[in-house]
Amino acid sequence: MDAYDAGSAARHGPAEQPHPPVPRPAPPADAPRSAEAPLIAEAPPEPEPRTGVAALSLRYQIGAALALAVVAIAVCVHVGMVFLHVAPPNTVTKQHGGAIDDWIYPEFEQNWKLFAPNPLQQNIAVQVRAEIDTADGGTRTTGWYDLSAQDGRAIDGNLLPSHTQQNELRRAWDFFVATHDADNRPVGLRGALSETYLRHIVQLRLDRENAAGEDGVVARVQVRSRTTNVPQPEWSDEELSDKPTYRVLPWWSIPADETAEAAR
Amino acid sequence: MNRFALAISAAIARVTESAHGPYQTAVIRIGFTATWLLFLLREFPHRHEMYGPAGPWDFDLAQQLIGTNGSFTALIWSSSGFWFESVYVFAVLTSVLLLLGWRTRTMSVLFMVGVLSLQNRSIFMGDGGDNVLHLMCVYLVFTRCGRVWSLDERRARRQNAARARGERIAPDRVGPVLWGVSGFALVAATTAGRLDGDLTVPVILWIMWPAMAVWWIVGRRARTAQPRILLDVIGNIVHNGALLVIMAEACLIYATAGWYKIQGTRWQDGTAVYYPLHLDYFSPWPALADLLSSSGTMVMLITYGTVLVQVAFPFTLFNRRVKNVLLTAMITEHAVIAVVLGLPFFSLAMIAADAVFLPTTFLRRLGGWTAHARGRLSRLVRRGEDRTELPGPRTPENPEHAHVGFTA
Repeated sequence: MDAYDAGSAARHGPAEQPHPPVPRPAPPADAPRSAEAPLIAEAPPEPEPRTGVAALSLRYQIGAALALAVVAIAVCVHVGMVFLHVAPPNTVTKQHGGAIDDWIYPEFEQNWKLFAPNPLQQNIAVQVRAEIDTADGGTRTTGWYDLSAQDGRAIDGNLLPSHTQQNELRRAWDFFVATHDADNRPVGLRGALSETYLRHIVQLRLDRENAAGEDGVVARVQVRSRTTNVPQPEWSDEELSDKPTYRVLPWWSIPADETAEAAR
Repeated sequence: MNRFALAISAAIARVTESAHGPYQTAVIRIGFTATWLLFLLREFPHRHEMYGPAGPWDFDLAQQLIGTNGSFTALIWSSSGFWFESVYVFAVLTSVLLLLGWRTRTMSVLFMVGVLSLQNRSIFMGDGGDNVLHLMCVYLVFTRCGRVWSLDERRARRQNAARARGERIAPDRVGPVLWGVSGFALVAATTAGRLDGDLTVPVILWIMWPAMAVWWIVGRRARTAQPRILLDVIGNIVHNGALLVIMAEACLIYATAGWYKIQGTRWQDGTAVYYPLHLDYFSPWPALADLLSSSGTMVMLITYGTVLVQVAFPFTLFNRRVKNVLLTAMITEHAVIAVVLGLPFFSLAMIAADAVFLPTTFLRRLGGWTAHARGRLSRLVRRGEDRTELPGPRTPENPEHAHVGFTA
């Protein structure tokens, strides 16, 4: 193999070798023992004179060359695929989008548009209210609970914010918005999943607030988002509205099996 | 023979004869496992809400979504509470053991299983930090990341010393047992149809498991040194490939983050950094955020600096000195982000990823300090002290490693 030939040729000296000798890595005798060394513990203890492909006979060199080829191809393909996955839509991704997605999803999915192209410039608060069936057979509607404000307070002064405070509701809302049209109709299976997920989160939070009271049961919930612009910095001369905008979702009924569970 | 052929053969020698960056791979192993471990401990009180069968993203929802994308998670195998707790504990244990470098290769596979099981169970719970860990735990499996700063290395060193003294070394019992148990689990999961989703993880598991057996058998039974050297060469090739992927991934993260920012008007007008500081979800210290954003010029400098560093970083790898300057800047920025934006685990994961580019001399010094501090500590505790037990960067360094990390 090339490495072996070149390596041995180089040592024959300049007389036979028109080019400077190949700089060879230091003798491996003092290289760190491999982590798997214990597994080869009972092998003959005499130090190996050489390692690497140069120490192999032709048969084994072919094996090494094969491994090198496979790994080289795998590395190039993988890095190329990841590059195309994170790159903006382009000629290649338009033609081979399917192949790229097959390679990347689900385990190598990634998104590094961190605060890019523009950082979010609005505070989006998710709020919820509930309709309670009371013990005396009546119903009452609670006020709006600002769940995002609760999260914000939990994060204030917190060196280690939990994902349950920082990501859970925020990302559930993003997921909902991404899988629903402007009329709040779900798009596909993911739309339906996001609705149930969001409903579960607000139910959990209402439960923690003891919104239903002692004997009541949450029968329906309504979610809305309240979006306000981050106030302009002092030095800025841009004019921005400070009026919040609302996106109000329809009332969702809690399925009977879940209310029964909550009542237990 | 022409110059081109010589260059090729030199390159082949380089990637086959040693596993590059032993300190860099060890430090990212420690960095990622520590991040995941601290995260799991932090979220221990919230584990049911995040990943449990009765959390908001409940078993049924997870099952429906995974039915569409086939991602790997052991948590979907059973909806029982006991199974959930076991997997969580498993994830904690494997991160501790991989951090310590105990049976590194096996633990790196099990660590991957733990990370993917929890993260894929509730994909809407994570952020960029989880994403980094998700990718890196897969890449880590292919590296020889336990060659320094690990219990494996210490064991190997002791055995070598014992052998040099002519003592007989008891055969390894733990390795085969570990292999047998994990193999039993793998076969059981496969025959039960639990690995019928996406192929990525099953393929990795089914390659690693027989590979470990081949390694073991060849190490003990082979009559000549040749098969053993071949395996060593393959291990080096795979390690170097994975290390390259890890470095490329880190560069892609920065390149993507940087180049997309350039297209944003707020990054262009120099106000972008102001906004995250005033989002309720990313402002644990409103007073600090106000202070940082009180000067428009300051905000603009940080905004431009961030983009500059992110875009420039991959190109600076060709120059060692500039690379180290930018690396320092990025690690500092991530440390600041950890506190100011309240993203400690994201920042830790990013710093761990950055660490793959740290110079070997610095890492060795770091190891020396750690060993020194540990030595002092144990003297303070007044335990019987045996100097030979200090796990330091004692392994003789192959000079080849000295410039790894600058050239990639």
